[in-house]
Amino acid sequence: MSQPRPPNGPSAAGNPSAIPPKEPSSSHTTGLRYPSNGKTIYHRHLSRSKTAELSQASFAYLFSEMVTYAQRRVTGIQDLEKRLNIQGHPLGLKLLDLLLIREPPRSQSRPLNIITLLHFIKINLWQHLFGRQADRLEKSSDPDAPDEYMIIDNEPLVNAYVSVPKEMSQLNCAAFVAGIIEGVCDGAVFPARVTAHSVGSKEEGEMWPGKTVFLVKFQPEVLEREALIGGKG
Amino acid sequence: MAANKASRLGEEIWKTRIDKVNAELVVLTYGTIVSQLCKDFDSDYVEVNKQLDKMGYNIGLRLIEDYLAKSNTVRRCSNFKETAEMIAKVGFKIFLNITPTIANWTNDGKQFSLILDENPFADFVELPDDGRAQDELWYSNILCGVLRGALEMVQMQVEAHFISDVLRGNDTTEMRITLIRYIDDELPPEDD
Amino acid sequence: MSYYFAILSPLDTPLFEHEFGTSKSGGDGQPRFTEQARHLNQFILHSSLDIVEELQWTNGQLYLKVIDKFFQNYISAFVTASNVKFLLLHQPTTSVPTANANANAANGAVVPNTAQAAASSRVNSTSVGANPTSPQTEEAIKNFMNEVYENYVKAIMSPFYKAPNMEIRSPIFRQRVAAAGRKYL
Repeated sequence: MSQPRPPNGPSAAGNPSAIPPKEPSSSHTTGLRYPSNGKTIYHRHLSRSKTAELSQASFAYLFSEMVTYAQRRVTGIQDLEKRLNIQGHPLGLKLLDLLLIREPPRSQSRPLNIITLLHFIKINLWQHLFGRQADRLEKSSDPDAPDEYMIIDNEPLVNAYVSVPKEMSQLNCAAFVAGIIEGVCDGAVFPARVTAHSVGSKEEGEMWPGKTVFLVKFQPEVLEREALIGGKG
Repeated sequence: MAANKASRLGEEIWKTRIDKVNAELVVLTYGTIVSQLCKDFDSDYVEVNKQLDKMGYNIGLRLIEDYLAKSNTVRRCSNFKETAEMIAKVGFKIFLNITPTIANWTNDGKQFSLILDENPFADFVELPDDGRAQDELWYSNILCGVLRGALEMVQMQVEAHFISDVLRGNDTTEMRITLIRYIDDELPPEDD
Repeated sequence: MSYYFAILSPLDTPLFEHEFGTSKSGGDGQPRFTEQARHLNQFILHSSLDIVEELQWTNGQLYLKVIDKFFQNYISAFVTASNVKFLLLHQPTTSVPTANANANAANGAVVPNTAQAAASSRVNSTSVGANPTSPQTEEAIKNFMNEVYENYVKAIMSPFYKAPNMEIRSPIFRQRVAAAGRKYL
């Protein structure tokens, strides 16, 4: 009698190089339970909620709770903005992949230079998050700051609903969005510091009182690489 | 208000009177809130549930104004069943664009379930595989707080909690709501 | 044909690994690396990272095709938007592929089960991957990579996934990668 073996089991017979297969999943035991219909995040089409909408008010409520909560755990405005920035950062990292994979295959390419990356942020990221492009993209005119770029939003959504208390009038909740932008830059290997600055004046007649500049300051190695590859791609 | 009338009202408001944003902006923002809480409270999920409920309560207190204005509600619901209809078909519809199923009423009409066939907050979410999250964390717990806060502002003290969640491997996501009492229209409490 | 697939973080730490064999032309989907080869696989993949990092700045495509060869091992690379690398090492079985890789696709299917094990070496040599740089193979690997990418994005979108340096432990993700392997390779 030959040795019984499982019907779909591998056999080493006739193949001297074969070895019993390792079951890699066995080293990754998981305790997660799934519904009996087997539906998980992996069964959901990635574009399913691409165009789905929720109420703007829901976003405003959640966002201001997030800010209020963060406020209790910080020492000052700078600290608070930093915290909001940190909370936005992982979203940028993830949205970078999500937005790219949703592009039609022929335009699915990684940004290779600063301008392509910033356009991706101004167009794709803004369109996705806020339903429109950012208003402007500018390079710093300061010759001493060739590493600085500005993304300008005349009316950031995150500031539209959040009423900042008087004693915190310097706070710009768009720091959260700055964090998202920073996440996109870091993820795409264009490490940068991104900060949000209110530039709209509060004076009567000002068309964009909430106007915000997102200042993107790239790390030196980004400019060095840019010089090397000559802005190709 | 009859169920189908509430349903039509919800649809109507959603279509014509609601400013909308990309759902993923909301969903991802909520995700950062929950993951931040888990981090700050060192994965003490019971505490995270409490914090989410508290945040929801704060939201509920403010959201009810918006709800009343949008739905043009001028009179109180005549009973708790009507309240349930309005929560599911108008409230959930206009804020989350979903209409949970109302089910499992108790005989005394004071307790029912909302079954969330769709839960936008749970899009993209897989709970941590740490052997505890699926037993302890109620990912969407903020919704319980919202209901509690909002109903309190219209003289109803309720208790709300999740009893199942597909994120935990259950087949449904079900929230249980219990009417504790109607808060009498008493004189405003004196400031002290 | 045997495959070793790995996902590497931007810091080059492994986030996910999976070994499998071809399912084309009657292949049973089992990897047939020697014990020695298995030890080398990870090393070979890592040593091709320099090439990936060079290429990724001249080519914005996600899929970079076969980028390196080490004896009988071919390395195909795919770089995600967030600089995570999907690397696939493919090792055609040692017998020299002589037949036209395309024409024999159907042959494997008629190999009786009982003879499968004995025939596996021959069958594998005529499978889609027998010629690692043919357009058909490149296309099959591209499809595999794209499908993995889709599932990867689903995995990282979870608010509990700390992108981009957290190991992917979901068994469903693993099943999905295995399924993509069966489907295309």
